[in-house]
Amino acid sequence: MSEPAQAKADPAALAAWVGREGEPKRSTATLDRETIRRFVQAIMDRDPVYFDDTHAATSRYQTLVAPPLFPVHAFRTAADAPDPLVSVQLDPNADATAGNDGVYFGLPPIEHPFIRLLNGGNEIEFYRCLALGERCVARARYANVQLKEGRSGTMLMVDIETEFRTEAGDLLLINRQTLIWR
Amino acid sequence: MNFESLQVGQRLHQIDKGVITTAHIMRWSAAVENFHRIHYDAPFAIQHDGLPGVLINGSWKQHVLVQLVKDALAPSGWLWRLKFRYRKMDVAGDALRAIADMVEKREAGGFGFVTLKIALIDQLDRVSTEGHAIGVLPLAGGPPVPYPFRADPAWSTQIGFPQDA
Repeated sequence: MSEPAQAKADPAALAAWVGREGEPKRSTATLDRETIRRFVQAIMDRDPVYFDDTHAATSRYQTLVAPPLFPVHAFRTAADAPDPLVSVQLDPNADATAGNDGVYFGLPPIEHPFIRLLNGGNEIEFYRCLALGERCVARARYANVQLKEGRSGTMLMVDIETEFRTEAGDLLLINRQTLIWR
Repeated sequence: MNFESLQVGQRLHQIDKGVITTAHIMRWSAAVENFHRIHYDAPFAIQHDGLPGVLINGSWKQHVLVQLVKDALAPSGWLWRLKFRYRKMDVAGDALRAIADMVEKREAGGFGFVTLKIALIDQLDRVSTEGHAIGVLPLAGGPPVPYPFRADPAWSTQIGFPQDA
């Protein structure tokens, strides 16, 4: 029988990750109309501030904007990056998530022995929407990393706090996401 | 939206998204370039990952909650804080609606703050995602909520989420 994951987890080594920051990560492109259109059609939100210039000009935004939480999804595979779908050509059991980085935003992954990942929830603060023509920058850090005893055994709780700003430095939102590893 | 007329306990807003099909899931996955097979490949989702069906993206559900509160507070209010957890998975074929109920209101710093209990509910009234939101509204005769929004640092301690959030 293999050693349980919690027996291999080193609390001191895990705690050393707290406060560690990733390099700032720029979104793949500036926000354009087509990206907004596809995005709001997919979330089925017909708010005219997303597509009607006249309406948007008289709104608090004064221009077209993306939905408040859009910056979290503004980081796509760069044109010169390796094709992430090669993974499914090489391995029929691959899940095709290679290349996705919608959680860590450039943070180095924590080394730990746990296998199963659950989303423990989010806490988000909103300050401003990304506007047409703007690009955003994400900066993530490990806000908390600790072992916790649950009903099904030891869990690793990881809180990642990511600040999203415009390239000019305006704060857009802060997303705190809790990951639970078992 | 008038802060003074809002009542604790009232249903502030509801959005019915209807049945979410594999086509809806595919449209979202394509829009955000998420190629995870559990969102379009039924044999992979069910046989490989042991899921009950093609999974509706948690990321899509987040945006529905944001839309719910944004629209509930429009046009003068601002969604400041949102906190939620996923309680169960939703799969293609589920019909989803989102609700926002007033649970608290108070004034601070010349603005009105509302705390909303929010949830995503399926066709069998099962809650799949739930949490709370805090919105900011102008008071009658008071200044508009600033945009970009600026939060007084004191508000974060004065105006928190309910304990069960």
